[in-house]
Amino acid sequence: MNLRRQLLLVSLLTLVLPWAGCQFVRETESALREGQQQMLAGTAQAIADSLAQFPAEFAPRERGAMRNLDPASEPGDEIYGHPLATAPLVDGYLDDWGLAAQSLIELPAASASLGVGVYRQSVYLYIDVHDSNVVYAAPGSDKARSADSIELVTTDENGSSPLIYRFAPEAPGNLVATLAGDGNPDETRISAYWLDTVAGYRLEARVPRQLLRGRLGLVINSTDSPDARGMRTRSFRGDTPGRLVTLSPLLQSVAAGYVQPDLRLTVTDRAGWRLAQVGAFASGDDAAPGIAAGWMRIAYNALLDTGEEADLADPDPSGREQQEYVQQALGGEMASSWFRSEDRGRAIVAVAQPVWSGNVQTGAVILQQGTDAILSLRNQALTRLMNFTLIATLLVAAGLLGYASWMSLRIRRLSSAAERALDDKRVQPELPSAGAGDEIGDLSRSFSSVLRRLGEYNEYLRTLASKLSHEMRTPLTIVTSSLENLEHEPLSAESAMYTERAREGTARLHRILSAMSEASRVEELIGQAETEVFDLDAVLSSTVTAYADAWPLRQFTYLSDSTNAKMEGSPELVIQMLDKLVDNAVGFSSDGDEIVIRLRRDNGGYTLSVTNPGPPLPERMRSQLFDSLVSVRSGDTGKHLGLGLFIARLIVTGHGGSITAFDVESGVTFEVRFPPSSE
Amino acid sequence: MAMNRPDVANCVVASAEQDLSKRIAIVEDEAAIRENYAAAFRREGYAVDMYDARRPAMDAFAARLPDLVVIDVNLKDEVEGGFELCRDLRSMAPELPIIFLTARDSEFDAVSGLRLGADDYLTKDISIPHLMARVAALFRRLEAMQKPQEKGSRMTRGDLELDVDRMTVRWKDHPVGLTLTEFWIVHSLARYPGHVRNRQQLMDAARAVLDDNTITSHIKRIRRKFTAIDPAFDAVETVYGMGYRWLG
Repeated sequence: MNLRRQLLLVSLLTLVLPWAGCQFVRETESALREGQQQMLAGTAQAIADSLAQFPAEFAPRERGAMRNLDPASEPGDEIYGHPLATAPLVDGYLDDWGLAAQSLIELPAASASLGVGVYRQSVYLYIDVHDSNVVYAAPGSDKARSADSIELVTTDENGSSPLIYRFAPEAPGNLVATLAGDGNPDETRISAYWLDTVAGYRLEARVPRQLLRGRLGLVINSTDSPDARGMRTRSFRGDTPGRLVTLSPLLQSVAAGYVQPDLRLTVTDRAGWRLAQVGAFASGDDAAPGIAAGWMRIAYNALLDTGEEADLADPDPSGREQQEYVQQALGGEMASSWFRSEDRGRAIVAVAQPVWSGNVQTGAVILQQGTDAILSLRNQALTRLMNFTLIATLLVAAGLLGYASWMSLRIRRLSSAAERALDDKRVQPELPSAGAGDEIGDLSRSFSSVLRRLGEYNEYLRTLASKLSHEMRTPLTIVTSSLENLEHEPLSAESAMYTERAREGTARLHRILSAMSEASRVEELIGQAETEVFDLDAVLSSTVTAYADAWPLRQFTYLSDSTNAKMEGSPELVIQMLDKLVDNAVGFSSDGDEIVIRLRRDNGGYTLSVTNPGPPLPERMRSQLFDSLVSVRSGDTGKHLGLGLFIARLIVTGHGGSITAFDVESGVTFEVRFPPSSE
Repeated sequence: MAMNRPDVANCVVASAEQDLSKRIAIVEDEAAIRENYAAAFRREGYAVDMYDARRPAMDAFAARLPDLVVIDVNLKDEVEGGFELCRDLRSMAPELPIIFLTARDSEFDAVSGLRLGADDYLTKDISIPHLMARVAALFRRLEAMQKPQEKGSRMTRGDLELDVDRMTVRWKDHPVGLTLTEFWIVHSLARYPGHVRNRQQLMDAARAVLDDNTITSHIKRIRRKFTAIDPAFDAVETVYGMGYRWLG
């Protein structure tokens, strides 16, 4: 992983900033919320204490004394009389009640829905029954059995003295209820309407409050034919109907005294049924700007405590508060919750406090307050925080990236300059950043001194061969000429033999000297170069033909893709270079091997390659392969001084080209690249 | 054709045994080499005078010129001593055969460029038999110069005219000043025009052990000398990888 990526990763650490900021916002927000909740709890406590003096309101109306009601004994049978805003028309239609559909009680056994509402002193009934076969009572028949009918059952608190009002029409429309009993007298104080619908029928009735007792239940009688017995379905389990729960006007007026703007107060009984509700929230459309859509919302939801949907703070349509915090309060513990709605930009803090009378809990007080302030603060804070930290992160990342780029540029420049200097092997390399005061400058200076020493040593090696040969030439001449003279003197057979051996030795010395001085000779020739334009392809092809004669134990193949390969240089030197490469190739291959010489045109220049099968390039000396006096042959070291490739490289660089060597499949290729000529 | 040859009379005076023995002067500062060469020359029947520096040599030459001089270019006491000696000798005796000995064959170009008029340039590691062959050839040439020209000794190839005895070359009837080694090379090439002479054959012809680079520079110098006379000269063709041939 390069420097830039490393520093980029490091710059990711700045992401800690927005996280820290979000934590801060979260802490602040919850602190504010808790503060508000505590305030609200205080108020709720005060209200609960004041309501403690009205235990009777929480208990059923009939009894003066308080009863210990255990809601578990009559689960689900209670009927809530929803407070109605206006007196609805008794016409069988529910739309003038102003109730939500969820407010109806479902009676699945009878395929019926039941709604009860209270307006002033009247209790309104609404029953919607699905019945595919509505049977009307025949006039004068026993209405109890042989027709579809509905019975209203009401008893007092302990289930005694039941009254049954029967609604059994002979035809749709207004009908008169009858009181079950002696003679089934009409009860004209009840007005009812029976509406025939596509799915069945509906009954709407208005019953004065005084006709009803504390408990209320419904029985639906459904028959399919006038003669058969009907099926009776009750709205209550057991024998006793459930309680009728309605708003308590007293509690309502007491609660109204505590009303404040943006505050909603609800009082429930022990089971959670609403006994009083006052107050409303201010409309929150413009008060708190919501958070922008899209990614901000996602971040928002991910980072902060979201609370519950504000809709859940609304009063439960069934009439019975079932929120968890309310349940907790009904269990005797103060509880709080909060809601928010992004669409409307509202947040609501809610507190539920139990109401005690003596040491008995009678109900609960629920206080809900809108908190525009908190929400807007939070939204704005969050937006600003996000913006700032994002900018900060980007700036830091950009800064680090830029710095990393600059540093890696410096290092890369140094590295490539060092490599170039290594290739040039000049004695005084000029490296960038040499004057810098930091670690890169130190590195550069170290490189320079290493390269300089390397250059000096290479210089020494380079001239070593020619200096040695020069020095040795004169003594060698002395030895040779002395031997030659010796041969003219009379010699014994042994003396002659020794002289002969000495002669051979000096001949070998001669060859070695010639090889050693060849390098400096080539350098001089290159220096005096007289270049001409020649056809490289022609030169190579005739030379390669000669090799076949020179080394009969090898096969030579010449491949060329250009016939008129004009090039500027010295053909003799190029041949000399090729001789060295071929000599190398022959030396490292075996009898019968094929040596391939290939010429390719290459962007205006030429690429010449010599490939031979054989062992791969040695790992250790790879970088010094083309240096003076480096020989990697394992065997016959006497003949090869290690100057062949050095001379080849001299010639190649003299022509402005480059030479490389690399392993190929089961062999080695030497590749020479001649640049395009300047003409 | 008669030359001023004061040494002929001196020769007779100097050596009673062989009145025709040639006198060879060696100017070489390395004692062992000097002695060895001298022994070899004497074995061949020449008389040898040895000098180790320019000044004593010059003084001696002023008194009496030798028949042939072998000069080492790098005389220790004077850097340009060998060149100066040659120049002085030439001014005294234009026809005197002079052989230069140099340490490196790379100096040939420098030496040749000075146009000192030496008859041949050799490296010090030349073998004694080769040296003897050259000396003999030079003396032969000297004699041939004195005799009238014999027709049979000429070789003509197109614009080229070779006199084998006098070892002279003419191109388009202009004389070309070749050294002995160069003459032998051209002779070897032109004898069979169109035939390729490989390096070994050229080496034998030049009577020396030459490496490829030296042959190349000899050929280069030969071409240059011909082109100086005739810019369109291209009779010497390089057959890459094989050798050279004369295009006739």
